[in-house]
Amino acid sequence: MFTHIFIYRFKCLIRDKQLVFWTLLFPILLGTFFYMAFSNLNNEETFQPIDAAVVNDSAYQHDTQFKSVMENVSKGKDRLFHLKVASNREEAEKWLKKDKIKGFFTSGEVIKLTVKDTGISQSIMKSFADQYRTSSSMVTSIVKENPKALQNGLLNDLGNHRTYVKEVTGGSAEPNNVLNYFYSLIAMACLYGSFWGMKEVTDIQADITDRAARVNMAPVHKLKAFLAGSCAALVILFVEILILLAYLRFGLNISFGNRAGFVVLTALVGSVLGVSFGAFISALVKKGEGLKIALLMVATMAGSFLSGMMFMNMKYLIAAYVPPLAWLNPVNLLTDAFYALYYYDSLHRYALNLGMMFLFIIFFCTGTYLIVRRRKYASI
Amino acid sequence: MPVFKLCMKIFLKNWLSISLYVAIFLAIAIMISMSTMSEQNKSSSFSQEKAKVALISEEKTPLTEGFRQELAKSSDFVKLPDRTEALQDALFFRNVTYILRIPKGFTEDVLNGGSMQMEKTVVPNSTENAYVDINVEQYWNMARIYAKHEPKASEQQVVKQLKKNLSGSTPVTIKAHERAQTANSFSMYYFNFLAYTLSAVLIMGISTVMIVFNKRDLSRRNFCSPMRARSINTQLILANLLFAAISWAILVAFCFLLDSKSFATQNILFFIMNSAIFTACISSLSYLIGNLLKNLNAMSAVCNVLTLGPCFISGVFVPQEFLNSTVLKIASFTPTYWYVQANAKIATLTHFEWSDLEAIFYSMVIVLGFAIAFFALSLVIGKRKRLIN
Repeated sequence: MFTHIFIYRFKCLIRDKQLVFWTLLFPILLGTFFYMAFSNLNNEETFQPIDAAVVNDSAYQHDTQFKSVMENVSKGKDRLFHLKVASNREEAEKWLKKDKIKGFFTSGEVIKLTVKDTGISQSIMKSFADQYRTSSSMVTSIVKENPKALQNGLLNDLGNHRTYVKEVTGGSAEPNNVLNYFYSLIAMACLYGSFWGMKEVTDIQADITDRAARVNMAPVHKLKAFLAGSCAALVILFVEILILLAYLRFGLNISFGNRAGFVVLTALVGSVLGVSFGAFISALVKKGEGLKIALLMVATMAGSFLSGMMFMNMKYLIAAYVPPLAWLNPVNLLTDAFYALYYYDSLHRYALNLGMMFLFIIFFCTGTYLIVRRRKYASI
Repeated sequence: MPVFKLCMKIFLKNWLSISLYVAIFLAIAIMISMSTMSEQNKSSSFSQEKAKVALISEEKTPLTEGFRQELAKSSDFVKLPDRTEALQDALFFRNVTYILRIPKGFTEDVLNGGSMQMEKTVVPNSTENAYVDINVEQYWNMARIYAKHEPKASEQQVVKQLKKNLSGSTPVTIKAHERAQTANSFSMYYFNFLAYTLSAVLIMGISTVMIVFNKRDLSRRNFCSPMRARSINTQLILANLLFAAISWAILVAFCFLLDSKSFATQNILFFIMNSAIFTACISSLSYLIGNLLKNLNAMSAVCNVLTLGPCFISGVFVPQEFLNSTVLKIASFTPTYWYVQANAKIATLTHFEWSDLEAIFYSMVIVLGFAIAFFALSLVIGKRKRLIN
């Protein structure tokens, strides 16, 4: 009997094209839009050699030291500047006006910088000029104190730049913040799955739909009918989420870290969470379907917003200033689980998220059971 | 005009849900515009950009303190708890871009010419990383040189010397170019975001009415009325245009309330003109959708895809300069792209001669072309439908 109900519920659900659209196609489309809009954001952050110019006047030609330093930082793979040499000031200004360069240096008693805007590239240029000026001021003050320093290889030491910082990675994964958008998208898709759960509960409450009235007539234990139906809903949602995951991973090349098994497990738990959430809300709200849909929609959207789907830093702000809200938001739990899997080497935080989700699932399921059980309809 | 009146009735009956839409999207528009604008607020004098740095020092020596002070010139220090996950979180969400850890015994090692290194955790290859590196490396390299060539100087003296050397800064001239008042203003972001708000509100509102009229029995009833199809259509279009005009006026009025300063400029006229043309375009698109779709559920799906999609790829949510060229090429097949293009150009207008305006009018004409195309298409489809019915 269980299989029978399961199969027919499955057929019944999968024919609801609208639900399939919202739970499968819509997240895929949104993921595609995300990909198109955000794929370049990380490149924007990457350091590119700055387009800078220097005015090649007589002062610059005589200032051999500055000249050689400029040439030094403008060659090689890790160069700081993409240097252009302007034959005179007018030319440099023309380039600046046309946005061909970010700024230009002029040599003289002090090095001067001319820019058009304030920004990080301009600040780097200024820091560079500051550094040059500071080094010469240091040489002057050392020589004043200790004239022999020059013979002792002061200039040599100056040129012999030593690196005092080494890069250590925080974890095995890169801090690619765009990923959070995709993680919260999957979380949203799981919670959209609550519509399946809602449909299940609606279809066993005889006072709400005709179909439920018919089902209630049948000599089948209600819990059995409900469980079989919920399983069908869960299977559909889980497969949908897997399709979405596969599309993101292999179609759009979104990274999920190396622990594929855990990612699939998270998808499964997320699906259960979605279905049980929908069932619970649907059982709790006695009024019409419109209100139920609106509630699920608002809850999912608000949850997604708070976990950073529209504005990424939201997730961090919530975690920093209102931590309880982060733990009580199912969308955030799911997002954070994916994030923890990708970003952390330890599974501690992931386990916490998963545990919290289990608590939610138990709460929703018990709630639904207590509300739906033993409901009799004397007349409808 | 019975059809017109009926349309008004339908609008009035749905006014709550429609005004809810207007209110929600308005709130989002205002929030987003505000948050983007504050980042862009730039003064006219040069101020050094500050990187967000977390400095964790395992020792406290005069040199590390001096270093902290010098680094503060180019960085904002962010206080973070020294736990791996907290640090990693902050880096992921760009609350800091550079985490620097000074190990114990580092100062002494530098002064003795040793090879100990500090540890940094950064967003790999980022610009801010390069920026902070310059300043960090310099300080310690100088300390090393002082220690070598003035061996008698105490640590405090070195710090003092360094402070003296590092004070003063390179003179920077800002070539003050003419900057339009509306550049990067609230108005610019608001009008950009209007593309999303207007699309959502108009497609929802207009299709709601159209779907009522397209109900099979109702449309059959209308066909056998003694009114000419042309008259019915004209009234429908008029009613929809009125709705569009009112929504547009409300949305523009809010911009006036929130950023009245920009309203004193000439640029705003072009913003308004541009958005009016866009409104016309989206109205005819909504009319087309209304003619094509039969039920409300399908409509909300179509509405979502058609409003979100073009907005994502044409630079409403993420500015066009951050999008890659292929995406922009695809986007140029949507009116939203041209609307945003025109907006960006209008915002930076300082002269209002034909040569400056040409590109703007070009974009506007394209949007107008889209409007006419959608409109013609919906007339053809409407006609076909009538014949089939």
